[in-house]
Amino acid sequence: MKSKSVTKVLAGLFTSLSLCAAASVSAQTVSVSSIVEHPALDSIRDGVKHSLEQAGYTEAKGLKWQFQTAQGNTAIATQIARKFVGDNSDVIVAISTPSAQAVLAASKSVPIVYSAVTDPVAAQLVSSFEASGTNVTGVSDALALEKQLELIKKIVPDAKNVGMVYNPGEANSAVVVERMKALLSAEDMSLVEATAARTVDVGAAARSLVGKVDVIYTNTDNNVVSAYESLVKVGNDANIPLIASDTDSVGRGAIAALGVNYYDLGLQTGEIVVRILKGEKPGDIASQTSNKLELFVNPGAAEKQGVELDPEFLQSATKIVE
Amino acid sequence: MSEYSIYGALELGLIFALVALGVLISFRVLRFPDLTVDGSFPLGGACAAVLISNGVDPFTATIVATGAGAIAGMITGLLNVKLKIMDLLASILMMIALYSINLRIMGRPNVPLISEPTVFSILQPASIPDFKAKVLIMLVIVVLVKLALDWFFSTEKGLAMRATGSNPRMARSQGVATGAMVLLGMAISNALVAMAGALYAQSNGNADISMGIGTIVIGLAAVIVGESILPSRRLVVATLAVIIGAVLYRFFIAMALNADFIGLGAQDLNLVTAILVTVALVIPIIKRKLKPKKNRV
Amino acid sequence: MLSAQNLQLTFNPDTPIETRALRGMSLDIPEGQFVTVIGSNGAGKSTFLNAVSGDQEIDAGTIIIDGRDVTKQTVWKRAKLVARVFQDPMAGTCEDLTIEENLALASNRGQRRGLKAAVQKAMRDEFKARLETLGLGLENRLTDRIGLLSGGQRQAVSLLMAAMRPSRILLLDEHTAALDPRTADFVLKLTARIVEENRLTTMMVTHSMRQALDVGDRTVMLHQGQVVLDVSGDERKGMDVTDLLHMFEKVRGEKISDDALLLS
Repeated sequence: MKSKSVTKVLAGLFTSLSLCAAASVSAQTVSVSSIVEHPALDSIRDGVKHSLEQAGYTEAKGLKWQFQTAQGNTAIATQIARKFVGDNSDVIVAISTPSAQAVLAASKSVPIVYSAVTDPVAAQLVSSFEASGTNVTGVSDALALEKQLELIKKIVPDAKNVGMVYNPGEANSAVVVERMKALLSAEDMSLVEATAARTVDVGAAARSLVGKVDVIYTNTDNNVVSAYESLVKVGNDANIPLIASDTDSVGRGAIAALGVNYYDLGLQTGEIVVRILKGEKPGDIASQTSNKLELFVNPGAAEKQGVELDPEFLQSATKIVE
Repeated sequence: MSEYSIYGALELGLIFALVALGVLISFRVLRFPDLTVDGSFPLGGACAAVLISNGVDPFTATIVATGAGAIAGMITGLLNVKLKIMDLLASILMMIALYSINLRIMGRPNVPLISEPTVFSILQPASIPDFKAKVLIMLVIVVLVKLALDWFFSTEKGLAMRATGSNPRMARSQGVATGAMVLLGMAISNALVAMAGALYAQSNGNADISMGIGTIVIGLAAVIVGESILPSRRLVVATLAVIIGAVLYRFFIAMALNADFIGLGAQDLNLVTAILVTVALVIPIIKRKLKPKKNRV
Repeated sequence: MLSAQNLQLTFNPDTPIETRALRGMSLDIPEGQFVTVIGSNGAGKSTFLNAVSGDQEIDAGTIIIDGRDVTKQTVWKRAKLVARVFQDPMAGTCEDLTIEENLALASNRGQRRGLKAAVQKAMRDEFKARLETLGLGLENRLTDRIGLLSGGQRQAVSLLMAAMRPSRILLLDEHTAALDPRTADFVLKLTARIVEENRLTTMMVTHSMRQALDVGDRTVMLHQGQVVLDVSGDERKGMDVTDLLHMFEKVRGEKISDDALLLS
């Protein structure tokens, strides 16, 4: 008799404890700060949310989720960061370099997971890609430029001059340009730059490259991605092959892109968030780069831009876009 | 609103109060619409960030940044006074030029300062948490600047500058070298804005090329909101008013960030801020309309 | 004290609206003399006054004030020697500044301005004393914005301002023209008093022949950018407006056709 009631009591205790645990595990706050509203950055946010849902963290179960964007203004990013810290966030996800820096300046203790930062070391978010020992970890969207160059050479084998259109005011782009320059000169090729400080300048920048380059390569520059159609017009009219770094642009007119799927980047970021919510320390988690690259190819664009694609190459594509 | 949000709004408000004081000098005292500030704010941030990351002590770096702003303001002034280019246009030209100059100074679009010493980290007292200490430090700086400006405008030179903006023809007939006064005023104004930029970069852990966008709008909003809350022709009151305006503006943004309960989302931030600012501007008008009716009764 | 020698100025040269405003304008005003200048519209009187003050650059000629050649000097450099009252009461004072601030500005005309307090106690007492002489009660309104004053009050204050520091020449640019007759009269009487008290060398441009003869020691009439009449002393004492008109006809062989000049 006694043992049965003891067992019952223990069982009851255990159940209620685990229910409490389950409840408190889900009653946590995840705050997401982005610098601007943008398809790629928004996909990351969606990916993070999905990862959380997959792990059982939903608003129905008590997860407090908030998202704010700074409308491109770093002062607002600062106020968002302060708010998130003041709201006792358990994890703050910071999408983009300025947002991440604002959050880190606001707190050296709240766990921060950055995403879509091409060079977190140069941004002084972490001192290296190893586990930082601080409250920061995250996923960088840096692409191995050697692979990008391989792609360029596959599509335009005789390329000597590679053009790049980019926003000189975007940290991520500046990093890529520098590295590309070095990489190309080692291969006896050269980089021709054309800057577009605003999205409306992208078309003019592309036109300035006509006659000077054999191919135009672009990274995930915010301005370029927003105005990719202007680039496509120039590429088609002047027969200059376009190679992008984000897979969405292939559907818009680039011949190919070996890129990060930003939604997947979001999923990867979300996985780190889940680990932290479950108790791991951000300082014990090494920064990651995207673990999944996809090759999208657009044969129609290739035709318009005067390039013949190798059938073997087409076979290797993750997805053929019409 | 959490304590962090409140202190954050205060801190940013006091930093931008320096911008507002600069805009007060150019826009109100000199009647010179000056868009240079969109370039001199990041100029201050860029100079400070580059110097600090190269090992220069933060106080010196901030002073150099302030000086750079003064030079930028003087160039705008020279374009207007010597080359007779219209004031607004001269300031736009300088703002455009500064974008490239700032990029050159920084060498890249973003210079981080997170692991570097700053005036805030050096002055940080051990007993107060850093988010409160920053507000205290800024308060001291803003009060000192305000007192210095109030004193300057009470002097003979300051009076001559006010006359230059109010009635340049009469000022000249009284022996005021109005051209020199414009240069001096523009220098002081942009020096203050650059100082704000330097402090902002140090407080926020980075200087980013985009940090200047909309500075003139923030400055003007602070001036106008401040004037509507504390109207007065006296300069001593005006300097206080724009400081209050700058802080209030940041509070409006903080409130807007917390407006999700009304069902407004992140993308409505600008709209909510605009509504709050409009309300602030309209309240004094409503107050005035209500007053005379009382007397009639 | 003032010597204008052969001033030439043409507006819009080589165009259909070319206007020869000053055609060899010469005038010498010795120290202490009060000269009134009249002429019809387009005679060049305002242009001449602006040339003397420095607001208007001239094509040829020399302007010498107190032995110094000021022809190329800017307005503000010349301000040490030249005091001026504008026609528009708004133009001559700083609306946004207070009465005492305007007076403080004027008390530094031509001097280096430094970082001393602009308005000090001792100065306030002096301002009060000066304003009392106007009899307008302004001495109690030192901290009022000058924009609150009427046109006549502002011109009165402008006159005080002009006399606060010694000048080599006081230029009065139709300074009662924007006022109603009673106020104009008040300001004119004030002008005469101030000029006499301070023994100021004065040149007053006026549109009214009556006024021109009533005040001052000497009257000069301009026509087509030149001096055509110059009367002073006994000859001038007994003159009235009709005498002046006849003199003009004799000299120029034509009648004056400017109604405003004739009827004022």
